[in-house]
Amino acid sequence: MSIALRGVTKQFGEYAAVENIDLDVPTGALMALLGPSGSGKTTLLRIIGGLETPDEGQVLFDGQDATLWPIGDRKVGFVFQQYALFRHMTVFENVAFGLKVKRRRERPSAEGIRKKVQELLVLVQLEWAHDRYPAQLSGGQRQRVALARAMAVDPRVLLLDEPFGALDSQVRHELRRWLRRLHDELHFTSIIVTHDQQEAIEVADTVVVLNRGKIEQVGIPGEIYDLPKSAFVHRFLGQVNELPVQLRNGRAYVGPIDIAAAADVQTGSAKNVALIRPHEIEIGDVGTGWPATVVAMRVIGPIVRLDLCADGQPIHEPLEAEIGRERFEAERFSLGQKVGMKFRRWQVYPAAA
Amino acid sequence: MARLLLIASALLFLCVFLVLPLLAVFVQAFSKGVAAYYMAISAPMAWAAVKLTLLVAAIAVPLNLVFGVAAAWAVAKFDFRGKSALITLIDLPFAVSPVIAGMIFILVFGTHGWFGGSLKAHHIHVVFAVPGIVLATIFVTFPFIARELIPVMQAQGKEDEETALSLGATGWQTFWRVTLPNIRWGLLYGVLLCNARAMGEFGAVSVVSGHIRGLTNTMPLHVEILYNEYNYTAAFAVASLLALLALLTLAGKSFMEWRQPELRRATHLPRDRLGGVRTRRVNT
Repeated sequence: MSIALRGVTKQFGEYAAVENIDLDVPTGALMALLGPSGSGKTTLLRIIGGLETPDEGQVLFDGQDATLWPIGDRKVGFVFQQYALFRHMTVFENVAFGLKVKRRRERPSAEGIRKKVQELLVLVQLEWAHDRYPAQLSGGQRQRVALARAMAVDPRVLLLDEPFGALDSQVRHELRRWLRRLHDELHFTSIIVTHDQQEAIEVADTVVVLNRGKIEQVGIPGEIYDLPKSAFVHRFLGQVNELPVQLRNGRAYVGPIDIAAAADVQTGSAKNVALIRPHEIEIGDVGTGWPATVVAMRVIGPIVRLDLCADGQPIHEPLEAEIGRERFEAERFSLGQKVGMKFRRWQVYPAAA
Repeated sequence: MARLLLIASALLFLCVFLVLPLLAVFVQAFSKGVAAYYMAISAPMAWAAVKLTLLVAAIAVPLNLVFGVAAAWAVAKFDFRGKSALITLIDLPFAVSPVIAGMIFILVFGTHGWFGGSLKAHHIHVVFAVPGIVLATIFVTFPFIARELIPVMQAQGKEDEETALSLGATGWQTFWRVTLPNIRWGLLYGVLLCNARAMGEFGAVSVVSGHIRGLTNTMPLHVEILYNEYNYTAAFAVASLLALLALLTLAGKSFMEWRQPELRRATHLPRDRLGGVRTRRVNT
């Protein structure tokens, strides 16, 4: 099912949780709503699911105005961060809940329910756990039960609110990949809310970045990361180094480095900053580029993070650079070593006033 | 050493102020032998008091069960204007003296009260009759169940209910199948406390009852009357019955607390973020 939001606004008292949002979720999409806390992403999800009513605007399900539909009529499956499993019911009873509360005419037979639940438990790889209670399962297992329970009523759209937020990183990683595979098999429309950029990029085919109740950017994951449209998106999607840009004699400089013609970095603002990701810093020999000193090094698996103190920069604000482990071992960097620094890529934004 | 001293002093305090008085009630009650005890509690007036007390509790507790659940539900699951005023109102019966609670009902329903005239015209007796006693008891015991449930329901949040609704359950189905099972232990505990107080309430009931023997005397009132008549054995015999009811209530509570850890393990705990850490992990 396709979902569309038209001019959706929701206030909580004086505070606008979401403001004039337009968004299209095509059928079969797996879309991530990404943003920091307070960005309105959860409110948007709850409006789509019918847990909140927008003050203004429309929610369209397959082109039909669903703004005021009660939640039970929307056929949405909800998955919450804290699982919200019914504690007094077994795994089987949890998954069967949505089938058992159907009106008598629509309710499957006991045998039908048993079969359907069994199928879903196989799908989430928990068929062995049907008579366990939620408390006897791990976090990852509980979340899979919650997913099976949501899918039992054949929802037209699956809404996941920080579904993996309470899990440790390894389980989270596994579940993301599993969810992606499941989605590729079954093609249900899903919307996942997350504050974790890596999660959004890993799992979704479209990422919507939200900030203060507004959409900053919509795009495929690679595009969002590589071509951020605003400094906010650039910062939110990963580590960045921020350096002031000076305009002199028609050229733009970051430190002593001439990065471009001034005309190419015009933002309409008098003060500008260049945002540079750690892996976009190129480390070369002394005498090339911007002289800098290695002040810290940390090996993180396949990459090595170097803190560089560039000449003329405050000593307590070193830049962060990343290089591959192989190069690090081949060149044997050491603390205090002098290097020369260049930038492979950068993006210029107006500096915040 | 310090720990021993602390425990000993706590025990001593408990003995002097709780166990001894309780023992004294039973000793005094049986001081003239079992026959006299039996005589005292089987006296028609005593029986009338027992029956009235049970009747009042049987009306007040179920009503407060419904009111309490409704109030706690409203406070815990919804945001609305005047919510804090409602919470304060729920606490009101705890804050005002029971005597004043009784006076309120005299003022409202008494012969010279607001509705006294019209009630009299329709031959409805509220004050100095059973309805007044029931009303006063409901007033005084109102907070017990609501107060017990509000923190439980607040801690559980709304997600269970939201999930049930999204799965197509109706409001009633959600309440009976999801909310009620989630709060059952808190509810039972609240009911026990409410019941204990309903049976034991003295002040408010004393004001509205009129102390008509055999008609409007509850057990606590009957104890007082007997006592004022220097009929100590009978007074303590009835008091011992009342104490026994209270002890049964406490036993019920202990039994539940003893059962609860087990139930917790199976159905209760992990709603918190530590859930994954605290519980055994079975190979994700």
